[in-house]
Amino acid sequence: MNNNKILMRGNEVIAEAAIQAGCRFYAGYPITPQNEIPEYMSKRMPEVKGVFIQAESELAAINMVYGASAAGIRAMTSSSSPGISLKQEALSFLAGAELPAVIVNMQRGGPGLGNISGCQSDYFQAVKGGGHGDYKLLVYAPYSLQELWDLTMLAFDKADEYRNPVMILGDGIIGQMMEPFYPTAYQKPALPAKDWVLDGCKNREPRVIKSLYMGDGELEMRNNLLQKKYRIMKNNDVRFESYYAEDSEVLVVAFGIVARIALSSVMKLRREGYKMGLFRPVTLFPFPEKELSLLSGKNRQFITIEMNAGQMVEDVRLSVNGRSEVLFYGRPGGAVITPEELQEKILELCNCRNHFIKTELNVT
Amino acid sequence: MPKGLTLRELSKKEVLLSSGHRMCAGCGAPTVVKMVLLASDYPIIAANATGCLEVSTCISDYTAWKIPWIHNAFENAAATISGVETMYRSLKKQGKIDKEIKFIAFGGDGGTYDIGLQSLSGAMERGHDMLYICYDNGAYMNTGIQRSSATPFGADTTTRPAGSVVQGKTEQRKNLTKIMAAHNIPYAAQASPSHWMDLMRKVRKALEINGPKFMNIIAPCNRGWRSRTDDAILLSRLAVETCYWPLYEIENGITKITFKPKEKKPVVDFLKPQGRFKHLFKPDNEGILNRLQAEIDREWGRLQKEETCYAS
Repeated sequence: MNNNKILMRGNEVIAEAAIQAGCRFYAGYPITPQNEIPEYMSKRMPEVKGVFIQAESELAAINMVYGASAAGIRAMTSSSSPGISLKQEALSFLAGAELPAVIVNMQRGGPGLGNISGCQSDYFQAVKGGGHGDYKLLVYAPYSLQELWDLTMLAFDKADEYRNPVMILGDGIIGQMMEPFYPTAYQKPALPAKDWVLDGCKNREPRVIKSLYMGDGELEMRNNLLQKKYRIMKNNDVRFESYYAEDSEVLVVAFGIVARIALSSVMKLRREGYKMGLFRPVTLFPFPEKELSLLSGKNRQFITIEMNAGQMVEDVRLSVNGRSEVLFYGRPGGAVITPEELQEKILELCNCRNHFIKTELNVT
Repeated sequence: MPKGLTLRELSKKEVLLSSGHRMCAGCGAPTVVKMVLLASDYPIIAANATGCLEVSTCISDYTAWKIPWIHNAFENAAATISGVETMYRSLKKQGKIDKEIKFIAFGGDGGTYDIGLQSLSGAMERGHDMLYICYDNGAYMNTGIQRSSATPFGADTTTRPAGSVVQGKTEQRKNLTKIMAAHNIPYAAQASPSHWMDLMRKVRKALEINGPKFMNIIAPCNRGWRSRTDDAILLSRLAVETCYWPLYEIENGITKITFKPKEKKPVVDFLKPQGRFKHLFKPDNEGILNRLQAEIDREWGRLQKEETCYAS
């Protein structure tokens, strides 16, 4: 890969980034709007001597990933909302057995069959543990194809580093859209040796990968270890981006594609003299709670914007913990917000047309 | 001609899948559904697995179905109709309902051969009084022509593309009709819209039988098969006449072939008009064509033997 920008579709960016990051096992199943991932993989995997399997269901696909991961291979599966619901059992098993894997969710409208347009209503499912038991996925929410490329690669590293499933939480819009990006070369960081892999125990002690702990107190101990791991993620892996957050009276909080839209609105409003800022969590778990907490205070209102009926707003409220007013605007069911609509809504919600002091603001 | 199946009589009956649905022009599936519904003299409640048929016949608040119709998810049409049918039987037993109603589930090959097989198998084993109809177009057409376990050997799909190394699908089709018959259900059959009388007669027969029934019906898809839009009936006829899709029924374990072509056509007659097989006609791929033909000959021979075995 060279250093010139290239033009690709979001879903194909993920697939190629995975291959570049050394993913050699992909199992998938058809569901719109992520079909380009399995289609791309079916052509590309054989070229790098990797494995592409189209399973007979989403359940089969993610359980194949479980098997491949236990054998030490970088493995990935992808789907969209209803299919991700079916994968929840295996996600809990992957987390319980501490197996690294990358799971892509190109969200579509729900609940139920919903529709096939982009949506953000799987936030809770992704960050609160959609399956059973106390577990966490590391969740990345890319907002551009550059980030899709970079975060997909990072996802494989983090999955191996923590022996934990990592989710790329995209949506139908980011999966389907095309834009130029830099296909930067993958550089593998120093990672712990995979000394747990089941690759034949000739000349070594047999190993066990499991999530079943029946002995007295065993499962509690196991859970405590998992929680310790999640605390380390919270300390080390929070990612976010902020624009004029310190200089804002109103701070818009949005993730993924909505943050992309909100950025246009916020910049436009700043140009008009409103003291606006944008805060964009890149990791949804771990959530940038400390950072938001530090930004909270009497003089700042928060507005969370999401393409759902209000999910991340709960984490924003927990982070702010009553120190600022937290407002919400959302469009559930796959409705796309426009920058113009958002500008109006932001001004309306924070009721700032009157008391806002318009000043000459620095906008770049 | 079986009673009630003359064209004169059929022409008086209401078509229960109305026009205005959004299936592609030339799709075989709505033709199959219309024939199935037209064949019944009973009121019908239908369940539908996710797929082209489901998504294109219930756009937003509208439905093309003039009968009660239920859709749940992709993998569970058979389970969903099981629930409806069981409740009906219970209400009937309690004397709260006396109407004679028949239950039919429709699913494509993805929703039947693959993800829906578990729920279908369960429903057949539990013995619900229902007819499951698979309209088989040989791939996941709704999501963009991905291979399924019903995709024929050698066919080009978006997840098993034909290229310089691999020549389309490298696995054989699953024989689902036989798998269903192996559940020892009272009736399993294969049909084709080209032989509409045979298809409708089978539906009528199935609906008269108490217990679980299964029918596998070929439904050409011009988008996925890369064929002409007006070739659906022609291709389904060629599928039958080449014995790629033999018409037969297995009633209480007894196999009967319901249509024997006077002259069995070579499978290339069926393959040639379809773009999904065009790579097979490259000189190097003669072996694949031979293998396809050999497989069809073997299955056809086996089916004839089965029939003879029971006839004696």
